Amino acid sequence: MDNLGFLFAANVVVWGGIIYYVYTLKQRNRALEKDLELLKETLSKEG
Amino acid sequence: MMNPDAVEENQEEGNILVWLTGLAFLAAMVAIFIYVPTERTEGVVQRVMYFHVPSAWLSFFAFFVVFISSILFLWKKEREWDIYAHASAEIGVIFCSLVLITGPIWARPIWGAWWVWDARLTSTLILWIIYVAYLMLRTQSDAGSMRARYAAVLGIVGFLNIPFIHFSVLWWRTFHPQPKVITNEGIGKGMDPAMLATLGISVCAFTLLYFLLMGVRVRQEKLKDEIDRLKREKIYSA
Repeated sequence: MDNLGFLFAANVVVWGGIIYYVYTLKQRNRALEKDLELLKETLSKEG
Repeated sequence: MMNPDAVEENQEEGNILVWLTGLAFLAAMVAIFIYVPTERTEGVVQRVMYFHVPSAWLSFFAFFVVFISSILFLWKKEREWDIYAHASAEIGVIFCSLVLITGPIWARPIWGAWWVWDARLTSTLILWIIYVAYLMLRTQSDAGSMRARYAAVLGIVGFLNIPFIHFSVLWWRTFHPQPKVITNEGIGKGMDPAMLATLGISVCAFTLLYFLLMGVRVRQEKLKDEIDRLKREKIYSA
């Protein structure tokens, strides 16, 4: 059980990496949806 | 334009995939931390393999998708294939980074060193650098431009490194262990059945995660194209 710290570190890296990537995807989604809404609003006002 | 019915259907499929991936990861965690026996020589740290190997599998699979999509993009000149290549390269780089981080964490207590410049480790690092360069090139490329074609060529050339990575442990004496799953004796013959089953569950979970992330990234790229199209329409109508 000596190397439990290494196993823990690897686990943290993998889960941390996946969660951070999913978080960045969510942020990108939010930005794109906001952009699209703004654009649609502008086009409907002009049209 | 995106069809609203198709979007709803995609969302339902996405939800099923989220649940399947979640359940697969839950099963993988139970197998890794409860079911599988501790390896005799390496001890508890050997369990890093159940994250390290599936991450490597996912990144190689992602780069294979880049390879195929890039060929199809150069051949058919359809933006769809360019989107698949770009999305898959990003996911591949993320998981290749995890391979390059979890590997040294596993190596330190076993080899006594975080990193050695052996053929397997060095060629994997080169693979990572190639696809990071690919993504950097993509940040400067617009759809249909010459740069998108350069990226496709880089995506194809980068993949040619993968067979070299696979065979490097057989061609040279390396610190990195030789293949345990696919050997000359057959698939999984050199492994304990419980370890093989755990690795199998973990590989399934990571593969499902790949398809889930790909779905999200492809949808994002298509949405970006839609926004660009609307912006162009707005400029021309003004």
